[in-house]
Amino acid sequence: MNISVRIGKAKFQNPVTVASGTFGHSEKYYHLREVKKLGALTPKTVTLKAREGNPPPRIAETPSGMLNAIGIENPGADEFIKTKLPALKKIGVPLIVSILGRTDEEFKMLAEKFNSVSGVSVLELNLSCPNLGKKVLVAQDPEATSRVVGAVKKVSKYPVVAKLSPNVTDIVPIAKAAEAAGADGLSLVNTFAGMLIDIKTREAVLGNVTGGVSGPAIRPMAVHMVYKTAKEVKIPIIAMGGIMTAEDALQYIIAGATMVAVGTANFINPRAPADVLDGIKAYMRKNKIGDIREIIGSLQTL
Amino acid sequence: MGKLQDIYKVISNEKLCEKFTRLRIDAKPIVEKSRPGQFIHIRINDGLEPFFRRPFSIYRAKKSLEILYEVVGSGTGALAAKKKGDTLDVLGPLGTPFGMPPKGIKQIVMVAGGVGVAPFLFLSDTLKKKDYELILLYGGRTKGHIFNIDEFKKNGCGVFQATDDGSVGVKGRVSKLFPKIDPCPETTFIYTCGPRPMMASVQDFARKHKLRARGSCEEVMACALGACLGCSIKTTQGFKTVCGDGPVFDLHELIFEKIT
Repeated sequence: MNISVRIGKAKFQNPVTVASGTFGHSEKYYHLREVKKLGALTPKTVTLKAREGNPPPRIAETPSGMLNAIGIENPGADEFIKTKLPALKKIGVPLIVSILGRTDEEFKMLAEKFNSVSGVSVLELNLSCPNLGKKVLVAQDPEATSRVVGAVKKVSKYPVVAKLSPNVTDIVPIAKAAEAAGADGLSLVNTFAGMLIDIKTREAVLGNVTGGVSGPAIRPMAVHMVYKTAKEVKIPIIAMGGIMTAEDALQYIIAGATMVAVGTANFINPRAPADVLDGIKAYMRKNKIGDIREIIGSLQTL
Repeated sequence: MGKLQDIYKVISNEKLCEKFTRLRIDAKPIVEKSRPGQFIHIRINDGLEPFFRRPFSIYRAKKSLEILYEVVGSGTGALAAKKKGDTLDVLGPLGTPFGMPPKGIKQIVMVAGGVGVAPFLFLSDTLKKKDYELILLYGGRTKGHIFNIDEFKKNGCGVFQATDDGSVGVKGRVSKLFPKIDPCPETTFIYTCGPRPMMASVQDFARKHKLRARGSCEEVMACALGACLGCSIKTTQGFKTVCGDGPVFDLHELIFEKIT
């Protein structure tokens, strides 16, 4: 059975990774035997300088999902490379490093920093975090998307993946802009902007007022976006949005995703990514599918 | 992570008073590793409701693992429906424990509000083996929040109670009980757990009398493993996660926002 996949020149033994921000910089997960089986690991987004994150409360439960506004709390690129990367590399699974710059220049500087370290397979550009108080996200503007992807592609020695936002009228033009600018792949999708209100105090539940919704609640919309985009682009898609089980992941693969990322489910079931991988293999065995490529984008239409 | 996550059987799930229920779980691996102040993170149902796991302080870890909880929402509501023989997916033990008091301490004051009393039975189980004077100051809203305090007395704790409506003990907040103790900066140590306004009042009291103190905090948690950074709170040392850096912190490092 062949379940290996590629993003640009980067090769992965299987199509299952974790979504950035859900694997944290938490070493408690690293020791899971299951983690070593995954196709790739995607640590939490790294910025040029350290960020302390948003004021609490930062998360809340929603129907079949969660609302969060963590605010990219991270130690900054230099500290990440010094203190976090060595332990992540030791796991022995390819790393998709998620980076976020406030400007094109910062994205470029981040890409250059990671050029000079070893153990990175792919750079994922977080163009779509909804929790940083920005009026317009890079991934809400095809031109800005094209500019940032182009700037990073010019300097990065790694394949580059653009992580896009679902908070757009039509994701396809933005996906195409990223592809045209040289992106090697797309990550679909980041969280849906949302909020919760405490009716007793008439205050927003989150300290940041608004946040991003993830989990099974967003899955049908995210599957639709992957389906729509996969028909229009040639580059591979890493799909995420409410994947709890292999059945959920297979929907994305059939819709056209090459890889799948388990996100919020990590918080509910730390073994979810390994369960998803095992389930995909079981599905392929049961349906006598020898190569994962036979199911990618295999949606049957009349 | 080894056996940090596993499936365990419910032994019993019984009300101790109108508001509080005690759940006992057959979880020997957790019992063996647990220390007072740590917590477990329970996936209450296999499906999507409630979606998050729920964190609970360890109430006792002897033969079985015990938690004490109050039904306040969908999660604890679903937990209350569990019966003997049902299974639960449990992560734990997690978090930083209370730790032993510093050298020279003779008097231990545990200040608890409502279900915040949960971690203190386990703490007194441990501290009773040493030569401390143990005092529990406990405040509940009504007599429905006053539960079987005998277990604390059996551990040698002097127990003082207050209720908001005066139905049991002194009428008023737990801070009304502060005059019951005669604190000394060198020999008195405070552990506290309860609603934030209560912990803020304990912090004021500890500052005034120059007492060392530790407080156990509560926050909504998703992973409880330090990955999501969702349960961070403000401290004098910057943001800290309740699940990993806490739940127990030096009380003087906690920053309590103004409560309106």
